Amino acid sequence: MSEVIVVTSGKGGVGKSTTTANLGVGLAMRGQKVVLIDTDTGLRNLDLLLGLENRIMYDLVDVIEGRVEIKKALVRHKKFDNLQLLPTSQVKDKSAVNPADLMVLCDELRKEYDYVIIDCPAGIEQGFQTAIAGADTAIVVTMPEVSAVRDADKIIGELGRSEKDNIKLIINRIRPAMVESGEMMDMDDINDILAIKCIGQVPDDIKVVTSANRGEPVVGDNDSQAGRAYANIVGRLMGEDIPFMEFEKEGFFTKLKKAFGLKKNG
Amino acid sequence: MSRELVTIKGGKDGFRLLVDSSASMKEIEAEIKKKLDSNPGFFPEGTKFELEVADLDRSVKKGIDQLLSQHGFGVDNSPKQARRSISSQPASSNQNMQPESVVQEMMVLNRTIRGGEEITSQSSILICGNVNPGAQIIAGGSIDIRGTCRGMVHAGAWGDTNAVIIADRLMPTQVRIANMIARSPDTMEKSDFAERACIKDGQIIIEPIER
Ligand SMILES: Nc1ncnc2c1ncn2[C@@H]1O[C@H](COP(=O)(O)OP(=O)(O)OP(=O)(O)O)[C@@H](O)[C@H]1O
Ligand SMILES: [Mg+2]
Repeated sequence: MSEVIVVTSGKGGVGKSTTTANLGVGLAMRGQKVVLIDTDTGLRNLDLLLGLENRIMYDLVDVIEGRVEIKKALVRHKKFDNLQLLPTSQVKDKSAVNPADLMVLCDELRKEYDYVIIDCPAGIEQGFQTAIAGADTAIVVTMPEVSAVRDADKIIGELGRSEKDNIKLIINRIRPAMVESGEMMDMDDINDILAIKCIGQVPDDIKVVTSANRGEPVVGDNDSQAGRAYANIVGRLMGEDIPFMEFEKEGFFTKLKKAFGLKKNG
Repeated sequence: MSRELVTIKGGKDGFRLLVDSSASMKEIEAEIKKKLDSNPGFFPEGTKFELEVADLDRSVKKGIDQLLSQHGFGVDNSPKQARRSISSQPASSNQNMQPESVVQEMMVLNRTIRGGEEITSQSSILICGNVNPGAQIIAGGSIDIRGTCRGMVHAGAWGDTNAVIIADRLMPTQVRIANMIARSPDTMEKSDFAERACIKDGQIIIEPIER
């Protein structure tokens, strides 16, 4: 059974593309057949994050407008044969792609792949509506800050109105020390407000950035906390029951609370 | 499932269209069509229906509007004053109020009300779920939130100063009752007990309650 997942957020820059790239590579590492669709032409595109920029021949708009077959436009990952990318167009008019087109495309890809993951543009405009059209599952990415959580809340409402009811949450760029000191929202508050199933808590980790610059998502890197967090999310997507990890660099208080059993498995 | 999605009620001041807010536009459309087509000629051309709904999506409201105008009808959008005083009578006009004789109505929502959503009802509203920042709840009567209230709540919106607002955790951005407004303090404490906001001595006060 294959699954079409859209990665969305409302607010820009919270880590949608990073999440898409990491989940894609992570699922491919676990032997799944995966295709990633980039529907956003932002500053950091999926092809860059995956180190595939120089291999692009065709893009999403070419496929939609029938200039090439899907197969020809897909870019195969260097390391994983079972991971493909359908890149976004850097120059062509993106409004050429509408929700119905993407639905058809997703249903086509669904036949061949275990996971179709769509990187969505920020905002709730046309691009968002297009990106979510063909999806079974939506992953909402947010950060532990007030404005990002508000936008996530709106997006979840919007997804509900579009009859997307299978929605999951990833909280990205957590800084445990700041959460501890009250400068960042804590996980319980975020979960209480958003009230959807949380499948990932990813710490802020410089390795996310350095590995992205190399075009190798951090997910394979066991020395990185974020890398392990992404690997855990991959497991949860595949139906495994994996507890949330405790972050290192805990403050004195967390340890104290834990000692008394007051803190849930973070 | 014999739930009535759409009900048309005749009253002395026109027709009211009651719509179940959990229904989809498609279902609503089918129901309204069925209702109108089963009684052709019953409603005079140009009849304006008063929409008796609250938790309706703007898009659905628009859809109903369009549908009715296709049939030569319309939606009555004129703002209504408290036509029916629901939770209480104005104190001045009725000294010995008999609550038993007053029709109590309540709208019940079993879900999270998210940012950007606006819930309006002429009756009282019960929400089993959270009201999130950026959401608005506007009730002619009282508002009861079985969850955390972080949004904007307005009870007695058509002038009922006896309306109250109750929440398990009351931490709204703003509380309004009738024509009074109370703003939350800039740093909000997390409240651990249920609280009630009401008007006392011409002021909105918030007091802890047991429940
Ligand atoms: N867990 C993390 N730790 C550190 N940096 C991160 C983390 N997640 C994302 N970033 C960085 O944040 C920036 C934005 O990430 P990304 O491009 O994935 O966001 P986006 O939601 O796709 O943005 P846009 O809305 O522009 O498409 C990037 O520079 C990325 O490297
Ligand atoms: Mg992006």
